Amino acid sequence: MALKGLDIFKLSPKKNCKECGSPTCMAFCMKVAQGAASIDKCPYFSDEAKAVLNEQTAPPMKTITVGNDLKLGGETVLFRHEKTLVNKNLYAVCACTHMDDAAVDTKLADMQKVDYERIGERMYVEFVLCKHHDGDSAEKYVALVNKAAATGRALILECRDVEVAKAALAVCKEGKPILNGATPDNWEAMNAAAAEAGVTLGVWASNLSDLYDTVKNLEAAGNKNLVLDVTAATAKETLANAVLVRRTALKDGDRSFGYPSIVNVAKLAKGDPRLQTAYAAMFTEKYGSIIVMENMTYAEALPLYGLRQNIFTDPQKPMKVEAKIYPLNGADENSPCCLTVDFALTYFLVSGELERSNQPVNLLITDASGMSVLTAWAAGKFSSSSIKKFFDENDIENKIKSRTLIIPGKVAVMKGEIQEKLPGWNVVVGPMEAVQLPKYMKDKEYEAAAKAAAAENAAKVTTTAEVKELSFEELLETRVPKIEVVDMGVQYKGHNPEAKTFVTIGERIHCIAPTIRKAMDERDPEPILKRAAEQIAAGATYLDVNIGPAEKDGPERMMWAVKLLQENFNNVPLALDTANKKAIEAGIKVYNRTNGKPIVNSADAGSRISYIDLAAANDAICIALCSADGIAKDNEERMKHCHNMLERGMSLGMTSDDLWFDPLFLVVKGMQDKQMEVLEAIKLFADEGLKSTGGLSNNSNGAPKHVRPIMDATLVAMAMMQGLTSAIVNPNDLRLMETIKSCDIFKNHVLYSDSYLEL
Amino acid sequence: MSFVPKTQPFSGKINAVTLGTGDKAVVIGGQNVLPFYTFDAPIEHAPKIGVEISDAANEWDVAGLRTFYEGCTTMADYAKRAESMEGADFLCLHFESADPNGANRSVEDCVADAKAVAEAVAMPIVIMGCKNIEKDGELFSKIAEALQGKNILVLSARAEDYKTVGASVALAYGQKVGAETADDINLAKQLNIMLKGLTVAPESIVMNIGTAAVGYGFEYVASTLDRVRAAALAQSDADLQMPIISPVSSDTWGVKESTASEEDEPTWGCREERGIDMEIATAAANLVGGADAVIMRHPAAVSTIKKFITELI
Repeated sequence: MALKGLDIFKLSPKKNCKECGSPTCMAFCMKVAQGAASIDKCPYFSDEAKAVLNEQTAPPMKTITVGNDLKLGGETVLFRHEKTLVNKNLYAVCACTHMDDAAVDTKLADMQKVDYERIGERMYVEFVLCKHHDGDSAEKYVALVNKAAATGRALILECRDVEVAKAALAVCKEGKPILNGATPDNWEAMNAAAAEAGVTLGVWASNLSDLYDTVKNLEAAGNKNLVLDVTAATAKETLANAVLVRRTALKDGDRSFGYPSIVNVAKLAKGDPRLQTAYAAMFTEKYGSIIVMENMTYAEALPLYGLRQNIFTDPQKPMKVEAKIYPLNGADENSPCCLTVDFALTYFLVSGELERSNQPVNLLITDASGMSVLTAWAAGKFSSSSIKKFFDENDIENKIKSRTLIIPGKVAVMKGEIQEKLPGWNVVVGPMEAVQLPKYMKDKEYEAAAKAAAAENAAKVTTTAEVKELSFEELLETRVPKIEVVDMGVQYKGHNPEAKTFVTIGERIHCIAPTIRKAMDERDPEPILKRAAEQIAAGATYLDVNIGPAEKDGPERMMWAVKLLQENFNNVPLALDTANKKAIEAGIKVYNRTNGKPIVNSADAGSRISYIDLAAANDAICIALCSADGIAKDNEERMKHCHNMLERGMSLGMTSDDLWFDPLFLVVKGMQDKQMEVLEAIKLFADEGLKSTGGLSNNSNGAPKHVRPIMDATLVAMAMMQGLTSAIVNPNDLRLMETIKSCDIFKNHVLYSDSYLEL
Repeated sequence: MSFVPKTQPFSGKINAVTLGTGDKAVVIGGQNVLPFYTFDAPIEHAPKIGVEISDAANEWDVAGLRTFYEGCTTMADYAKRAESMEGADFLCLHFESADPNGANRSVEDCVADAKAVAEAVAMPIVIMGCKNIEKDGELFSKIAEALQGKNILVLSARAEDYKTVGASVALAYGQKVGAETADDINLAKQLNIMLKGLTVAPESIVMNIGTAAVGYGFEYVASTLDRVRAAALAQSDADLQMPIISPVSSDTWGVKESTASEEDEPTWGCREERGIDMEIATAAANLVGGADAVIMRHPAAVSTIKKFITELI
C-alpha cells in the first residue's frame, strides 16, 4: 500500500541529524515513501514506529512458501497487464482413504509420468493432496500419506480430524506440507497442530463470511501462515469465492483475505475429466493458487501448463527459448542449419514454418536476450561474435557435419562478418520473412548460394594471414580517410555545458537507416553531413552518432565519423552510440571537447554496466538506462538500477552530473498504462538532483505520421515539467523543438523575447 | 455477517447483438460485468458456441469427427448434422478451400454451398473466409447478398478491407460484420471507429480481437481480452463495447499437441483426447477472459464447454 511521506514523517524522530545522508528528516521520509531509501538507514526510528510502518507497507497478499521452496500468492494485481503476476499456480492430484492400495499406487505412478520441460520450465504435478474421509483410521491415512510422500512431491493433508492430522504430520512435517483442515468448528485445535508441526494451515468454511471470521480468529491467535480453500459445492460459487477473496485483498486492501487459495476442481467436475480441464483452465486465469485435479494426464497437462506458462509470463520481459540446436523434421548432422534469435515468438514462427516445409533442418537458436532479429542486431545482441560464441559453447562444429548456414534475410549485412568468424561454413542469406521459408526450403534455394559461398571461401583461404591488432594511432594513420571540410551552409553555434537549457540529442545519424548504413560502410561523407546539417540547422545541441554494431572495424569507423562531423561543424558535441566499446574509446580519442564532453550511449544496469567504467575512464558523460534485463517493472526497480549505476559511476570518480538517467520511454500503443509511471520516474531523478534523458519519440511509435509530433511535443512538455533535462529526439520536428524552447522559457532557463522561437 | 462482499457492476455495458432469425436466433453480449461474474450482477445472455464446418472437412482425420459426420458429403449434410450436436448454438461455415494459393474453389461454388446450408438449417450462420483479402472480399459480398434476411455474421473485416467488407456485408445487405485485429487493443478500437465511420451501426459489429491456442502466445490474447473488457466496462468506451467472438478450433487443431501422432509422441497418449482437451482449455480460457462466443469443432469439446457455461451462469 502506498504510504505518503508525510505519514512516515509523523512517526520520524524529527532530529534532522543528517546521519542517514539526507539533509532533513522530511527529505528522508519522502525518499522512504518513494522506495528510494530504506527506513533502516535512520538509527533513531523507534521499533514501534518501524512496526507500524512495516504493517502499513506490507504487501496486500502474503507469499507462502511450502514443500521444497514452492511459492504461493504474493500477487499485487488482478490482471497481468497491470504489472505482472508473480507466482504461477501449482497443480495437485488427489488420493483418498477410500481408495485401495493398488488404486493409489496406479494414480501416483501415472502422475509421475507427466514430467517434461517446456521453454525452460519443468512441468509436473507439484502436490499430492491426501484426503482423509471422516471415520477412517489414522493408520490408513498415515499409510496413504507415506505413499504420497515417497513420490517426493509436496503434500496437502486434507483432514479435519485433529488427532489423525497429528499422526500424519508426525511422518511428513519435514516436507513442509499444507495442513488443509481448519474449519469454523475446529480451528483452535487445528491451529495448535499446525503451529506445533510448523506447517502452513489451510482454512475452509461453507461461506465467505465464516471463512473471513475464521481467518480473523487465526490471525488473532498469531497465525498468518495460511492458505484459503475456496472450493464450494458448485463451480459458480467457487468462482465467486476465488474472485471475491482475491479482489477484497488486492483492490480493497483487506489483508485478512490476502492469502493464496486452493481450488479443488476434482470435486467440482464430479468425475467428468473434460469438464475438469475447462474448470482448471478457468482457475488458472482466475485466482486459483493451487488447483487440485483427480489425475493429470498428458492430454490435460499439455494445454493447462501451456496456458499457465503464458499467463504467468511477465508482460515486461521478453519470453525466451533455450539457445541450442533444434533438429526439425527428423534432421540429422547432415541437414542444413537455419539460424535465428531466442525471442519465443520468433522461435514459434520460424520453427512452425520450417516444420511446414517438411524438410529436415537444424534450427539454431542463439542467445539474443529474447529480442527480435532486428532489435537484437541493433543492440549488438545478435552479432557475428555472439554467433561465434554460440557455435563454440554448443560445439556445433563437431555436432553438425553440414556446413550450410542460413541466416535471416533481415541481417544480410552480417553475412561477411559471420563468414569471417566461421571460416569453415558456407553462410547463406535466407528469406526476409518466416512465411517464405516453406517454399525456400522445399525448393532448396539455399543450395546454389551455399555452393557460391563455398567457392568464395576456397578462393580466400590463402589470404588468412595473422592480423596484428593496430593501436588507435596506427588505425587513425592508416585506416581513417582524410577529412575534407565541405561548406554545408550551416554553422554550429556552440554550446555552454553549464547552461540549464534543455539538451536535445539529434537521433537521425543512425545505422538502422539504410542510407546511413551504406554511407558508414563506404565512408561516404555526403549523406551523413547532410543529415547533420539539417539537425544542426534545426537547433540540435548534440548529435548522436550510431555506427551500428560495427564489430569488425568499429574504431576506425567511429574515428572517421567523429572527425567528419566535428571538423565540418565547429566541433559539434556528439553522443557515441554503438555496442562496440573499443569504437567508443577510439571516438573519444579524436574528440574535441570545446562544446561539451562526449556522451557514451549507453550503459544499463545489466550487461552494459561497464559502459559506465568506459565513460569514467575517458571523462565522458554516460547515458544510464534504468533497466537490466528488459524494462523495469516499476519505479522501485528503476530507482534501484539508478542508484546502482550512480554508485558505480561515483566510485570511479564521475560526478553525478555526468550520468544522465534514462527511464526508458515506452510506446503508448501497447504500454499506455505505464506512461505516468515513466513521468514519475523523471520526477524521482529530478528530486535527487539527477539529470535525465531518453528516446522520447519511442512513445509514439506506430502512430500515424501527423499524430506523432503532437504526441512527442505533449510528452516532452509533461516530462520537462517533471524535470527532464535532455532527450534524444528528431530535431527536424518543428513542433517538438518549439515546444522545448517554450518550456525553457517557462522554466526560466532562457530570458523571454518576442523572437525566442527563432533563436 | 462480518464480511459483506462488494459487488462491482459497471455502468458500461457490452452491446447485445442478435444473430440469425426466428426461434433459433441467439443474442451475444449484453452484460455489464466481467465474464461469469454473476455475483456482481446477473448475466442475461450466456456465451454461445458455434460449430465449425469446413469445406475441407473431408480431410478431418480424427475418429470422433468422422463418426459424428458419417455419411455426410455436402456442406449442407455437415451443417444439418452439426445442428444436432449437443451444445451447438450456431454454425460457422469455414470456406478455407477458397484460398487461391490452395484449392482455389470458385466463389460461385462457395455461395451455392452457403445457400444450400441456409435452406437446410435453422440455426444462425457465421461465415469464415480463407484469409486471402481479395478472394474474401468477393466471397463475403456474394454470400451476404445470397443470404439476405438471414441475419448472418461475416468474419471478418480487417484494417485492409474494412471499407469493402463493411459496405457490402453490413450496409448493402444488412448482415452483421466481424472486426478482426491481432492482439492489439488500439487497432481493435480504431477498426471499430472506422466501421462506425462508414455508418455501420455498433449493434452490427462483433469483434475478433485475435486468437491463439493456449501455450502459443495466449498471453497476448488474454491481456487483450482483459484490457478490452476493462475499457468497455470501467471506462464505458463505446468503441470497444462490441461483443467478442473467438474462433478457437482452427488454432487448436493445428498445433503439435493435437497433430502429433501416437508413434511420434508415445508418452503423450491418445491424440484425439489431446486435441479435445486443447480445444476445451483454449475455449474456456477465452470465455473466462471475455469472449461472448467461441467457435469449436469436436462434439465432445462442444458438449463439455456447453456444460461449463451452464454451470457458471
